[in-house]
Amino acid sequence: MNNTVRIQQEDFSLQAEVDALRAVSKRIGGIATFLGCARDFSEGRDVFSIHFEQYAGMAESAMQALHDEAMAKFDILAVRMLHRVTTVHAGEKIVLIVVGAEHRKPAFEACEWLIDELKKRVPIWKKETTPNGDSWVIQHP
Amino acid sequence: MIKLLFFGALADKVGKQSMQAEAGQRLQDLIVAVGCADMQPLLVAVNQEQVHDLAYIVKDGDEVALMPPFAGG
Repeated sequence: MNNTVRIQQEDFSLQAEVDALRAVSKRIGGIATFLGCARDFSEGRDVFSIHFEQYAGMAESAMQALHDEAMAKFDILAVRMLHRVTTVHAGEKIVLIVVGAEHRKPAFEACEWLIDELKKRVPIWKKETTPNGDSWVIQHP
Repeated sequence: MIKLLFFGALADKVGKQSMQAEAGQRLQDLIVAVGCADMQPLLVAVNQEQVHDLAYIVKDGDEVALMPPFAGG
């Protein structure tokens, strides 16, 4: 919970993560969040669950590198990043990015950049379970 | 010897998640030898760092990962 960058099996609390970020600095005036959840429908078919797999070690390092890059690149004060690696069912939480800044614009920009780069640079894969069987997901833009 | 790791659809294709291989061969030859040459696009990491030069000759003790494009989030 105290680590700002985490890969974990367990579910997480959006409120707890936002509160932890707010505790970093009273200069934070704007917080942007991205919460990714499992959909029950994808590519024209029902999805019962999604199983996530990671390259342990490299995935954490890649997420930490993104955190550090975002802190240097944007005018922001704090970042928290979490990704679950387990089997999640439709509606359940998968990934969370929380960014705090003095003002909203850099918080929004950093949040969008972080989730876009996470998809490109963090070695995590997902396999969907559908009525027709399991299949690995091709990267979404 | 090196440790070779497979992830996602690549692990399904080769039927295993890891194996040992001989050091001293180029990454591109290793990929052909394990039957993954037709699995494109294919990402490669050596010792947890992504590499793009497939002429790299693997060294004793290297950990080589063959990975499909990432799909987190």
